[in-house]
Amino acid sequence: MTSVSAYIKQMLTKDWAHNFLNAKTAPLESPSYFRGTPHLTGKECTHCFQCMMICPSPGAIEVMKNDENGGWAPVIHDGHCIRCGLCVEICPELVLEAGRVHAMNVHDETYMQFTFHIQVNPVTCMGCGNCSVACPVNKEIDPSLAAKGTSSSDDVIMRVDKGLMTVLHEDKCTGCKTCEEQCPTGSIMVARVLEPLQLVES
Amino acid sequence: MKKTVDVSIPLGPMHPVWKEPCRLKCETIGERVVKAEMELGYMKKGIERIMKGRPWQEVMFLAERVCGICSVIHNMVFIEAMEKMSDIEVPDRAAYLRVVANELDRIASHLIANFSYCYTIEHETLGMYLLNTRETVMDLLEKLTGARVTCSYMVPGGVRFDLLDEDKTDMVIALDKVESEIRRYMQMFDEGPLIALRSVGVGTLTSEQALEGHAVGPTARASGIEYDVRSNHPTYQKLNFHPIVRTGGDNHARIMIRFDEVLQSVSLIKAAITTLPQGLIRGGGVMKKGSIVYAGEAPRGELTYHIKADSFGRIQEIYIQTPSIMNIEACVHYMIPESYSIADVSATYISADPCIACTER
Repeated sequence: MTSVSAYIKQMLTKDWAHNFLNAKTAPLESPSYFRGTPHLTGKECTHCFQCMMICPSPGAIEVMKNDENGGWAPVIHDGHCIRCGLCVEICPELVLEAGRVHAMNVHDETYMQFTFHIQVNPVTCMGCGNCSVACPVNKEIDPSLAAKGTSSSDDVIMRVDKGLMTVLHEDKCTGCKTCEEQCPTGSIMVARVLEPLQLVES
Repeated sequence: MKKTVDVSIPLGPMHPVWKEPCRLKCETIGERVVKAEMELGYMKKGIERIMKGRPWQEVMFLAERVCGICSVIHNMVFIEAMEKMSDIEVPDRAAYLRVVANELDRIASHLIANFSYCYTIEHETLGMYLLNTRETVMDLLEKLTGARVTCSYMVPGGVRFDLLDEDKTDMVIALDKVESEIRRYMQMFDEGPLIALRSVGVGTLTSEQALEGHAVGPTARASGIEYDVRSNHPTYQKLNFHPIVRTGGDNHARIMIRFDEVLQSVSLIKAAITTLPQGLIRGGGVMKKGSIVYAGEAPRGELTYHIKADSFGRIQEIYIQTPSIMNIEACVHYMIPESYSIADVSATYISADPCIACTER
């Protein structure tokens, strides 16, 4: 009986009559705060590739060179994107935006930061120097890098020293993992360590 | 005398009211089920193998995708386990916001479980009412985190987004609406005579049987076992959490305890919002080497993560123990032989809220 009386009570309310007479389906649009696929804001991309590095979904975002004006821009493949919004959080140049992820990051003063660590397994490393030669940062610092990976410069990230790969300046690594791809024995590994942070008011 | 024939009746893998595929073999004498057996293996994803060798920012999303209904708790348990392993402190505000997201997810999960039961006993009206209320809760979750199901809200050392003040007032208004609606539906379920015929005294699980079958979560609490992992969680202790217990042990008690827990979750969220501390939402910190076993309370029961990570926080080994496998065990061995007929088997099975996607991962 309580249910029946509840129905009747509900029918007598003004809202019910209004909804009954003006029955309408809700509009099929996602709200502004929905974290959808990221879109470009129009700011200039510096092709640091951090969005590609952080993306948990394989092949969802690619930073590519634009043919028309020669600039770089991320391209998002909607079918691969899982709408996590991490690329928006990591981007230092505010190129991307999804829902209100970036607006909330500005509001909370939160950001994410990468640090890169190089790990060499000395047992399996044969000291061929492929990683040292392939490294784009090494090439920039010491253009006269030998084909065996040895270098006279002390500023390079890594070089072959006495037949063994030694890492000198880990902090200069940009996390591109080119060395990992070039290693024939899989002895070198680049760890991308992510830290979520917030600005602390002093 | 008429000869009694023993028949083995298979239910599933595809069944109109089951959400996920699994096969239930029932040995019957006449209409009565004497023995049941569960056959799993239709949903294996191999998600633990995919997790190996990946850093937390990728495993976090994989952990969410273990279960589609209780995704927030998988994220929370994984991140809290990694935090505990690496000695990362969480700011108070972030810890409270985690509770808000987790309890919203629990409400959504319990409502869909009760919808499923109402649908199984052919009370579709109440089921649809519950789904309507669930939409309100999902919208709140979307407003807080930006997504309805795979929220990915928690990160090591805090949460991703803060709760805005205008959203806070909206949330309190919507939760008041949810609470009043749930009270009405509870009354409908509790007093409905036809619902009582299908649920009171059907599929009884005594507390001894629950202990023997290792039942966890609402299934165990409906049989009088006062056990909830949330009572060991520091944030829940601050919010004065005490587990709810019912002693019925039948289908009716299992559904009613979920309604009770929805109301409890609403009050927990309200308490967390009103006493939300000011301050940071991210404390920072990087992952370290170590191994840990950490448990949290999923909507279905105790969820345990066994994790071993290397020095940069990459997962070396991981094993996820989900609550549904224990509840399925208790359900198949003790509840289903207690149900009156083959028609009650699916209702009894649904009342234990099995989640096959969790079970097989």
